[in-house]
Amino acid sequence: MTIRTVFRNEMRLLAADRVLLSSLVLFVALFAYAIANGFAWVAKQEGTVAAVQAAEEERGAALAAELERIAAGGDPGSPFRDPRAANVLGGNLGARTVVLGPGPLASLSVGQSDLLPYYYDVSIYTNEQTFLQNGEVENPLNLMVGRFDLAFIIIYLLPLLVLALSYNVLSGEREQGTLALTLSQPVAVRDVVVAKLLFRALLVVGLALGGSLVGAAVWGGLGAPVRLALWCGAVVTYGLFWFGTAAWVNTLGRESSWNATVLVGAWLGLVVVLPAVGNIAAGILHPLPSRVEMINTAREASNESVNRRSELLARYLEDHPEMAGGVVDDVAGTAALSWAATEEVNRQVEGVAVRFDEQLSKQQALVSRYRLVSPALLAQSVLNDAAGSGDARFAHFEAQVRTFAEEWRGYFVPAILAGQVMTAEAAMGRPEFVYSEEELSVVLGRSAMPLAMLLTLALLAVVPAAIRLGRVRGGG
Amino acid sequence: MIIRIARKELTDQLRDGRFRASALMVGALLLVSLGAGWTQVSSARAQLEAAEATARNHWESQGDKNPHSAAHYGVYAFKPRLPLSFVDQGVDPWTGTSVWLEAHRQNDFLMRPAQDASAAQRFGTLTAAGVLQQLVPLLIILLGFGALAGERERGTLRQVLASGVSRRDLMAGKAAGVAGALALLVVPAALLGSAALVLGSTATGSLLARAVVLAVVYLTYFGAFIGLALAISAWVPSSRTALVTLLSLWVVNGLVAPRAAVDLSGWLHPSPTAFEFSRQIEEGMANGVEGIRPPDRQAITNRLLQEYGVDSVEDLPVNLSGITLQASEEFGNAVYDHNYTELWDTFERQSRVHESLAVVAPLLAVRALSMGLAGTDIEQHRHFATAAETYRRDMMAAMNGDLAQNSRTGETYLAGDELWVSVPPLDYEAPTLAWVLGNRTVSMLMLGLWLLGALSAAVAGARRAEVGP
Repeated sequence: MTIRTVFRNEMRLLAADRVLLSSLVLFVALFAYAIANGFAWVAKQEGTVAAVQAAEEERGAALAAELERIAAGGDPGSPFRDPRAANVLGGNLGARTVVLGPGPLASLSVGQSDLLPYYYDVSIYTNEQTFLQNGEVENPLNLMVGRFDLAFIIIYLLPLLVLALSYNVLSGEREQGTLALTLSQPVAVRDVVVAKLLFRALLVVGLALGGSLVGAAVWGGLGAPVRLALWCGAVVTYGLFWFGTAAWVNTLGRESSWNATVLVGAWLGLVVVLPAVGNIAAGILHPLPSRVEMINTAREASNESVNRRSELLARYLEDHPEMAGGVVDDVAGTAALSWAATEEVNRQVEGVAVRFDEQLSKQQALVSRYRLVSPALLAQSVLNDAAGSGDARFAHFEAQVRTFAEEWRGYFVPAILAGQVMTAEAAMGRPEFVYSEEELSVVLGRSAMPLAMLLTLALLAVVPAAIRLGRVRGGG
Repeated sequence: MIIRIARKELTDQLRDGRFRASALMVGALLLVSLGAGWTQVSSARAQLEAAEATARNHWESQGDKNPHSAAHYGVYAFKPRLPLSFVDQGVDPWTGTSVWLEAHRQNDFLMRPAQDASAAQRFGTLTAAGVLQQLVPLLIILLGFGALAGERERGTLRQVLASGVSRRDLMAGKAAGVAGALALLVVPAALLGSAALVLGSTATGSLLARAVVLAVVYLTYFGAFIGLALAISAWVPSSRTALVTLLSLWVVNGLVAPRAAVDLSGWLHPSPTAFEFSRQIEEGMANGVEGIRPPDRQAITNRLLQEYGVDSVEDLPVNLSGITLQASEEFGNAVYDHNYTELWDTFERQSRVHESLAVVAPLLAVRALSMGLAGTDIEQHRHFATAAETYRRDMMAAMNGDLAQNSRTGETYLAGDELWVSVPPLDYEAPTLAWVLGNRTVSMLMLGLWLLGALSAAVAGARRAEVGP
């Protein structure tokens, strides 16, 4: 009875409040813009994936045709374009393109997907430096600012709507003198305030969930119900945190303007300032060694490599087969020599990469620790993970690419070293990459901690608020 | 009279606990960000110097080689960091930091530092620019929202005006009071920053000029915000409405508009994907661009044979390979120019969209100017990329020229240290202040309009403000 009365009353108040109504309409417009952006982004990624895969098929067909031509007695033209040579086939001629498609809920959160590479050409030359290549061609200014996606609205703007709707949920009643009136009725203040907050929560969180469902539906996200549930869980918990905080501040018994100041300050601190401070602290406490070291090591290794000359010559001849006569007398065996040098360089670069990754994981450990104090960072990591646009999914992909590159080398290197001729069957049977998506249990397991922490933070606000609400008496 | 009002306003502000707390907070963040920025830029500069020296050493000590092998080996160029980038790191973490200059290819910049950081960085890093662009305006809002609305609510506005103070003087005094309170925070930070700049680097005239203009830009921005806060405070009925309106504007200015500009710029000026871009270059290499065709080795051979009046390439006084390599290099340059110019222009058109949206969010204008003056905007990234590419082309021309002139076709030829040393190191000169500002006319115009508009609105607001509730 009480809840229904309060809801009806709130609905009337809302319908009369132009400012609130227009800000709700504005939010709906922002959601629509974000959904359109998410849609466009996934469409672009899907288009790229399709184009990349089509190009690979084209290359495969050309390779098959060339092999057929040679089998029929055709001349490959030059030993460096001969698909029967293992170093040529396993090098650029037969390279496979490996692709990570957009995440299951990619239309909700762009996350890291505009920054991290999602396709590579894998050949025998794939090494640690391959992973340093830039990802998409993207305007660095746009990367710096970040995209206007649903995750952005939920993390940054939704709390502001929550605060605007509930900063005076109790103090306003007291200031208008309606609190005493309400208390003269046979209802508890707690019930009234909870009902008012519930009404607002249904409105705001309902808007966010509705937007998310629409956003997911525009690009097949409904096919990933578990991830969608995880996403919605994060939205609800994040909303609960901000409603709880607003309720708690209201129970402190100060005037509305004080509440507003404190709540806006909390939003500023938790969403804007704290993450920025944490990022700079991570950079200062665990500075990453310069990637330049990796380049220089690779170059020194290739300089010092005993086979340097042979390798350089072989590479040179791959680029300029027409000059073979002028520069070296003996082409035979250069492939094996070249491979030996490549391997040596890879080994040294891996050493640097391992040191770099150690330092990087220290920095990331720090980041995931300070993440625990900011609900915004917690929400971001769960939302990205649910959408499949977080760091972890890209790392998962990269690890698979590494394994595949090893398999690839295992297939070709023995033949290179033995100077073996690759048959047409061997060429067409070269390893294929099949991406296996992260297990849902892994995604859920990774999100469990930040989600639990977010819930804890929410309860830390909600529980004292509930206790204090029980003690509220009327009056001014 | 203005001075007395200003002094009263200042005293009021300094007594206000809320202002003191938030000013202390913002001041602390400003100091921390300046210090952190300074440390990072200094160490980055030291690293760069070391890397440059190593890279140069690799080049000079590569031993005897065919010049074209050396061209393939190439050198690495590292993007320098201007001293002022400690105030605003701009797009630097989001662009590559080094580029491999080798034969045949114009490579992309490698290794975006952002790629090594986690998604948490998407919240931004604390920088002095961020504090000045986002938090100081918030402080101004806190200082100014009640300036007139508050007096009116307390009934003191009627009194003040009755005592014969002109409305314009009242507004000027209020503005001066707010500015004074702000100055207590900003001036020490600016002095500290300048001291760091002068002591910590070889302060050239052009650097100091950039710093001065940077200060003017931020002062204009603050001025616009002071005007805006006072105008709103005068125009709206209550101080509560003034605060809500100003906070909404702040959210639009600092959060909504910048993000909205990202996607909008992508809609208006789509950039190619990495795959499309490399495809376009392959296509150009195969079929030519802008009517320039790939060089024909046979035609070059025939031309040379005719020119030197000999019958076989072995009899040529020059090495045919050197000549054809240079011809294909020049053709490749045309293809790269065609594609990269288009790409960079697209990026700059996108930046222009960001700048134009400064109509609703002055932050976009001040951010563009700040990055420009700090030397960390896209245009200056392009400026360096172009310089590095020009250097690469000169280097390749030197290698191919040596191969062509000092060896014969078909002969095994090795050049030595002398040739490597004869290629000077890349000496990059940052663009002038005029060049930087030339790119930022839209932003300067926008910022100027904001200042003018906000101040006029404040004056008009003072003239028309209701004196009592």
